[in-house]
Amino acid sequence: MGKDDINQWDPSLDGKNLTDFYNPNVLINIGPAHPAMHGTLRVMCRINGETIEDAACEIGYLHRAMEKLGENKTYHQWIVYTDRMNYCSALNNNIAYCMTVENLMSISVTERCMWLRMMLMELSRIIDHIICVAINALDMGAMTVFWLMYHWREEAYTMIESLCGMRLITTATRVGGMVHDIPDDFIPRMKKFVKEFPSCLREVHGLLTGNRIWIDRTKGVGKLSKEDALKYSITGPCLRASGIDLDLRRDRPYYAYNEVKFDVAIGTYGDVFDRYLVRMEEMKQSVRIIEQCIERLPGGPIWVDDPRVRIPDKIDVYTKMEVLIHHFKIFMEGIDVPPGEVYSAVEGPNGELGFYIVSRGGPKAWRMRVKAPSFMLFQSFEHSVVGDKIPDAISALGSVNIIAGELDR
Amino acid sequence: MGNAVAKNAEFVKRQAIATARIQEKFSEGRQFLTDALGEPILWAKSLMDAFDLIQLLRADDVLKFDFLSDITAYDNVDGKDGAKRFVMVYQILSTTTHVRLRLKLAVDLGEEPTSWTSLWPGANWLEREVFDMYGIKFKGHPNLRRILMDERFVGHPLRKEYPLKQRQPFPDNVPLHLGPHPLPTKNT
Repeated sequence: MGKDDINQWDPSLDGKNLTDFYNPNVLINIGPAHPAMHGTLRVMCRINGETIEDAACEIGYLHRAMEKLGENKTYHQWIVYTDRMNYCSALNNNIAYCMTVENLMSISVTERCMWLRMMLMELSRIIDHIICVAINALDMGAMTVFWLMYHWREEAYTMIESLCGMRLITTATRVGGMVHDIPDDFIPRMKKFVKEFPSCLREVHGLLTGNRIWIDRTKGVGKLSKEDALKYSITGPCLRASGIDLDLRRDRPYYAYNEVKFDVAIGTYGDVFDRYLVRMEEMKQSVRIIEQCIERLPGGPIWVDDPRVRIPDKIDVYTKMEVLIHHFKIFMEGIDVPPGEVYSAVEGPNGELGFYIVSRGGPKAWRMRVKAPSFMLFQSFEHSVVGDKIPDAISALGSVNIIAGELDR
Repeated sequence: MGNAVAKNAEFVKRQAIATARIQEKFSEGRQFLTDALGEPILWAKSLMDAFDLIQLLRADDVLKFDFLSDITAYDNVDGKDGAKRFVMVYQILSTTTHVRLRLKLAVDLGEEPTSWTSLWPGANWLEREVFDMYGIKFKGHPNLRRILMDERFVGHPLRKEYPLKQRQPFPDNVPLHLGPHPLPTKNT
């Protein structure tokens, strides 16, 4: 049955049907202000008893005209907007965006900046996966997992706070560098984190992976076959859970991902259980990557030595006139990006996070396109829930980790 | 070219093979370019050509383009990319060779490119977004209506002539109703 069937009903029969207890065509509206609809998602389901026969999603409740703003703000001013897209892993968005602008300007960031960015991307991947797994379990009533994992999310946020002064919306990067170099206690803290965090993963495995209730609630739920995953263009852990071996970190290595060792986790059935396992394994691999980044993090400057983008140190701004003028030019006029276009994507926690920038020269983009993974995931959601029960829809939604900020942009 | 470029030797080789193949087999009569990262861009000749071309590219057994990354558009009101008003941008990827290709198509006001939903059902929402933001209609799209904006919204916000601060607040939501969904096609 297609979605259009809803539209072809005779509305005059509607009142009559509702009095019928065994009406096979009941519409149920979930969201946008429903606690299980993470953020502002809305799903309309046609149910037969408890079985979802058809689902349609409506989006746009968090639309803030990000792409329009991208054409009207300078490249630097727009960094803060990238935080507000996937606010669970804002660092990843910051880095992906700055990387795109740097590609457009043919800037190579310094070695230290590169390794630090990789480390931060993996840290925010861990945060994002923690949110996904913990909230998914919470939605299904497993609250212990939530408390266990959120302790580590808190720890990670405290580290990020020491890095840039913000927790959720970081704005930690600038085009060509980072807003600050890492504080002295950052690396020891990170070492402690990567040493102790895997114990949390073991605990969660002990609580969930062999748990009868968890298996019953997740196996075979929200299934997306290999073919459907390709058809609906989903990316990231959900694509890999469906059995397609695609990870941009390994296949199209940006920064130094070709020099670190990690494995790519692949699922088989593409159900909620597989997505959970893929995410758990990815956290473990992220820890591995962070360990290697700590080991290889070189010294040296964090900023690229390029006068087009280099933001001068504050001490020089206050004491030297030329530097003050330079500082003023960067912030009042913006950086001058040559004409051209580029699409560059990173493997974000939820999938391929790409920025497509068309520049006609000058400090503002002509077109700023964000290819957000959640958009395609939510589209596939309305197909993957068909045939499941209402509570399964909740667990399937939690497992794909839709972030409304990047869904609606 | 920054250091964020994919630089492992194996991938660079695959990309060179794919680029050569595109140039040799598909670039005749079409404009072939590379972007700031050295990734291939192919301009389709016409609306019909774009749909034929993607079917050929999908069927090509060297390129194996089987994954649709993104569909978007941009406003070409300044005429830097030809005389037509909009440029459609299709990003495709191969899950085996991991090479990307950007397919571009110039579309004028009132022209209707063929929908790609028959090739990738995932194109559905992407094309709806393009329609919502630019007002480009797609031939053969099963459910072409606004996706991010409210259905009562007038105009297409990503066109350059739409003012940044022209807000259209709607105090109430559209009441739930059965029956045909009102298509906001009267807005151009």
